[in-house]
Amino acid sequence: MLAERLADALGADAVKTAPEDLAVYSFDAYSESRAPSAVVLPASARDVAAVVRIARECDEPIVARGAGTGLCGGAIPSAGGIVLSFARMNRLLELDARNRRARVQPGLINLDLSKKVASAGLFYAPDPSSQKACTIGGNIGTNAGGPHCLTYGTTVNHVLALECVDERGEIFTTALDDSGYDLTGALVGSEGTLCIVTSAWVRLLRQPEATRVWVATFGDVEAASEAVSAIVGHGIVPTALEMMDGLMIRTVEAAFHSGFPVDAEALLLIENAGFEDDMDACEHAIERICRESGGLTWRTARSQAERDALWAARKGAFGAAGRIAPNTYLQDVVVPRTKLPQMLKLVGDAAAAHDLTIGNVFHAGDGNLHPLIMYDKRDKRQVAAVVEAGNVILSAAVDLGGTISGEHGIGFEKRDTLARVFNDADIDTMLRVRDVFDNSRHFNPDKIFPRGASCAELRP
Amino acid sequence: MTGEIERLAPATPEELAALLASCDRNGRVVAIEGGGTLDGIGLPASSTDTIVSTLKLKRMIAHEHTDLTASVQSGMTLHAFSTALAKYDQFVPLDAPLHKRATVGGTLASGWAGPRRHLYGRTRDYVIGSRIALADGTLANAGGMVVKNVTGYDMSKLYVGSCGTLGVLVSINLKTLPAPKAARAFHHPLPLNSRGRAIAQLQTMTATPAAAFWIEGFAKEIGGNDADDGRLFVLMEGSPALLDRATRDLRSGLGKAGVPETHVIDAGASIAFERAVDAYVATIDDRSATYRSIGDPSSVEERVLTMRALAHRFELRADSIADVMNGDAVVRVSDVDARSFVAKIEIFDDALHDDIPNAQVIAGSFPGRANLNVWGAPPPAIEKMRALKLRFDPKGTLNPGRFVGGI
Repeated sequence: MLAERLADALGADAVKTAPEDLAVYSFDAYSESRAPSAVVLPASARDVAAVVRIARECDEPIVARGAGTGLCGGAIPSAGGIVLSFARMNRLLELDARNRRARVQPGLINLDLSKKVASAGLFYAPDPSSQKACTIGGNIGTNAGGPHCLTYGTTVNHVLALECVDERGEIFTTALDDSGYDLTGALVGSEGTLCIVTSAWVRLLRQPEATRVWVATFGDVEAASEAVSAIVGHGIVPTALEMMDGLMIRTVEAAFHSGFPVDAEALLLIENAGFEDDMDACEHAIERICRESGGLTWRTARSQAERDALWAARKGAFGAAGRIAPNTYLQDVVVPRTKLPQMLKLVGDAAAAHDLTIGNVFHAGDGNLHPLIMYDKRDKRQVAAVVEAGNVILSAAVDLGGTISGEHGIGFEKRDTLARVFNDADIDTMLRVRDVFDNSRHFNPDKIFPRGASCAELRP
Repeated sequence: MTGEIERLAPATPEELAALLASCDRNGRVVAIEGGGTLDGIGLPASSTDTIVSTLKLKRMIAHEHTDLTASVQSGMTLHAFSTALAKYDQFVPLDAPLHKRATVGGTLASGWAGPRRHLYGRTRDYVIGSRIALADGTLANAGGMVVKNVTGYDMSKLYVGSCGTLGVLVSINLKTLPAPKAARAFHHPLPLNSRGRAIAQLQTMTATPAAAFWIEGFAKEIGGNDADDGRLFVLMEGSPALLDRATRDLRSGLGKAGVPETHVIDAGASIAFERAVDAYVATIDDRSATYRSIGDPSSVEERVLTMRALAHRFELRADSIADVMNGDAVVRVSDVDARSFVAKIEIFDDALHDDIPNAQVIAGSFPGRANLNVWGAPPPAIEKMRALKLRFDPKGTLNPGRFVGGI
């Protein structure tokens, strides 16, 4: 019935219901899998609107999906329903180079956007590690970050206006001139629970005149953390400031051979983009600060190829972890950046207490940690330990004045930990917004909010 | 309700929240007031019973200077805030007029979009958390004190720019930035037929100006001398090395556009910039209205020319600022006496909105102001906005009628 109605509206080739097809859409990069009842591949906003109306009439939930690279289960269904894939809506619709903006469909791959606008001297700044695969629509859903958001900001800072389909299946747009409530800002990062985005105006930046990338190594992560605080404390905010611990340095080096010193116990990958006139002074200042913080070695990437190789290694770090464990669980927490040494120690303690190996490769400049827990899912003890250690890490971040997600989102994974950060009154304000946009709770149900937070339990 | 308007300034967020709850219960309409510097945006709240001032909430709660974050109560003035940040060579580019009176909360609630935003980002992009008092007396937190955060909805986004119609901001957490090492300002008179090329040069300069305005009029407020095509004001910020390079680039670029040697201000560059920002809301007695149209940088010259031509058609004087980098067109229309101004302004307002539907009034106090289309054409998705208002403030207690579409 559902599939037939969808096929009538969108054409048979836009609807998939065969078990092998559904299986493909039952996963994202989260550990669990859940199959939808149907998968649809709309080609236009009008198609999306039709799907929403049918879903509503059939009382079926809808989960919008980009590339399925999300780590929190945001792109998989809760139980059955429709997965709406944007694989066919992947075009750059309009480039306005003079005003430095572009209108894109949600299925456009992040890196493809920068490639398509490069000849105009422009680029799209948010660059999640998965940027070769992940989509702008998915990035909007999670308010995705990336190494370069230290100076450029996250996705929400780069989305100017949206076209969306609301819960009634009607298309609406948000204001490009910032008039009225900032609906754009509120919808970005709402993980598909408020509406379905069908196109977006995004901000483009001019390619920097000069870019330098440096690698500094340290004897331990504490010294590297101290260097991070000192760099920022000296009024220098580089474009990216990434840290890797010894385990990850060796893992990444084995996979990518990018020349990271394998005897170091911590490494900072630092990039600054800007004006040639400022580069020497910036380089000297950062190098001096690193040395004063106990830095062991310093290397400047000499060419674009060398810079690209260093970034490829950094962005491939989590994939490389497959070399040391059959399974990995990537955590995403944020602390005020001066709390990094304490937080890294607590991560180390959690690893020791639960007899687990945890690697760290993360956005140090933002205080955004990504502890990577290695395990074997066939070992029940290890699986239980991973869950417990993950929990300890989340609580530790909150206790240090931080939060439970910096850029990956809440999804299924962290819905029950949301209440560690926000009280009932705080969450109730969010639910008021949910009521306005998705009162019937058809958009990505069972995500973000704690079980039982659907209404009555939280409202007086 | 009848009776006198009461004016209260609660000393704590809890007191403020309790006051809102009491007004809400008793059907008293609340107007929210900060420094009063942006009162010219939107209409006054209709039939106000109680004015709630945030001016006693003026504390810096925390300045974590090594983390580049700060938490500040909403009634703190921009001047006090920037002075505190400057002790650690930091700043937040809020860039609102009259910074000695303007409050952080009021600037954010009004959605003020400053002229340096193309370089440093929009004001709202600096907000990492907030605490809001809702009409029913709820105090709720949003965001946090970390610079990257996707934990739940980012509620602060809705509060910023809501003109107090969803709740009252009692404190705000912001990212801060290291202050630029140096600043330099430039005045350039624009000879006949140089304007278009000069604007194009500024928009494409590699060493991007922190702010750039094409100005005509506003001589008393901003200073500088108009030539046939008005004048330019350019602010450069950065390291001394970058400023030297930017100065060379600017001279060469504007030289190609036919603009002669420039007047450079080193000491006092920031003060000169503040004067230009103050001019956005500078009024002439009760005989001026200032309009702002936010749009593309590529069309800003045309929009300002359209607005000026309309003013002249109605025999109104026009002073204008075109924010060349962001695309904001700001035009103040005025007349020699209040009576003739009031007689013309309504028809001017109609004609203006025929050509530039999104033009908003941002300053001016005169009889009949309520008859103008002060917000311009309602934004798309206005129905969603009305629904949000209803869900957050069902009785219409907070600043009713102040916002777009009569919200």
